Amino acid sequence: MTDLSKTTHAESAEQTPPEVRFIRVPSIAERKLGADYVAPMRLDPRVLNQMQSTIKGLEARYGDSLREQVRALLTLVEPACSGDAEARGRLYAILHDMRGLAGTFGHPMVGRFANSLCLYIESAGTTAWHDDTIFRFHLDAIREALESPGADPAITLETLNALQKLIAASATERRRQG
Amino acid sequence: MTSSPTRADADFFRRLKVLVVEDSAEMRRLLAALLESMGVEQIFEAPDGLGGLDAFAEHRPDIIITDGSMQPMDGFEMTHRVRAANAADGANPDVPILMISGHIGRESIVHARDQGVTDYLPKPLSAGVLYEAIVAAVSKPIHFVETPDYRGPSPKRRLSPRGTGDTAV
Repeated sequence: MTDLSKTTHAESAEQTPPEVRFIRVPSIAERKLGADYVAPMRLDPRVLNQMQSTIKGLEARYGDSLREQVRALLTLVEPACSGDAEARGRLYAILHDMRGLAGTFGHPMVGRFANSLCLYIESAGTTAWHDDTIFRFHLDAIREALESPGADPAITLETLNALQKLIAASATERRRQG
Repeated sequence: MTSSPTRADADFFRRLKVLVVEDSAEMRRLLAALLESMGVEQIFEAPDGLGGLDAFAEHRPDIIITDGSMQPMDGFEMTHRVRAANAADGANPDVPILMISGHIGRESIVHARDQGVTDYLPKPLSAGVLYEAIVAAVSKPIHFVETPDYRGPSPKRRLSPRGTGDTAV
């Protein structure tokens, strides 16, 4: 058991090699609750249930927002692939949002397709925008996953694999062209 | 004084100050809603690392939850600067920093660890992962290493994306 009496509120330090110090700072719970804190802190299932209910409650609103985002993506592809920097930035920002949030709100495949396209943009840089094929295939997959959430997961995963093969082929082609 | 373990419930979380640094307004809304449903009442928000540093100095949060990729300053650089903050100026460079990121590759995790990130949470985020990460952050003593160039969680420690079962780096 750690003797906290030797640990001030600020910190305790052991001098080892001259330039390295190991510091132990009391936990936030120790600092907030003082002697009332008894470790280990116990998870409360009521809190977790409340958090999960919160996500459920936000799902419908997010679903509406997701549909709007998909519509926006479809209109942004053409200008983005024609050199419009603002459209590119906006398209990537929407996809970045989507890859982070769709899975939390019950659309894991939408999130994975968005992630695949984000990774393509991040790795290909400006050359990603020279051809809209990969964008359009991804956006079709996103739209399909959103409109048919009960689709056979095996088929959806097959689509994702096919898209990733397409991206790999595009990367090979870019390397070949130098 | 009680003799049973402290429960991580709304009574406890009411005392916490949490700073959320995230460029996505949707994600900020989600995080704020989840924190509120835990009982956290003092939630501060910033849209990027620069805003996060200002909020860190102004509000002195107990925990920071940050995204990784942001413009103009990302969550990695912000973490580095928080760890380098001077405690003598009233800052708390020891604050636990939880990074939420869609990048769960080795390179990103090593970079996060080396900047002083406490815990790494993969996107998509689940309620269980967030709750467990916050409870771990508030209940464990903070062990730091300080050298002339670095102050923060040991850069040699194992860090893996929480809840993925992936190998630690």
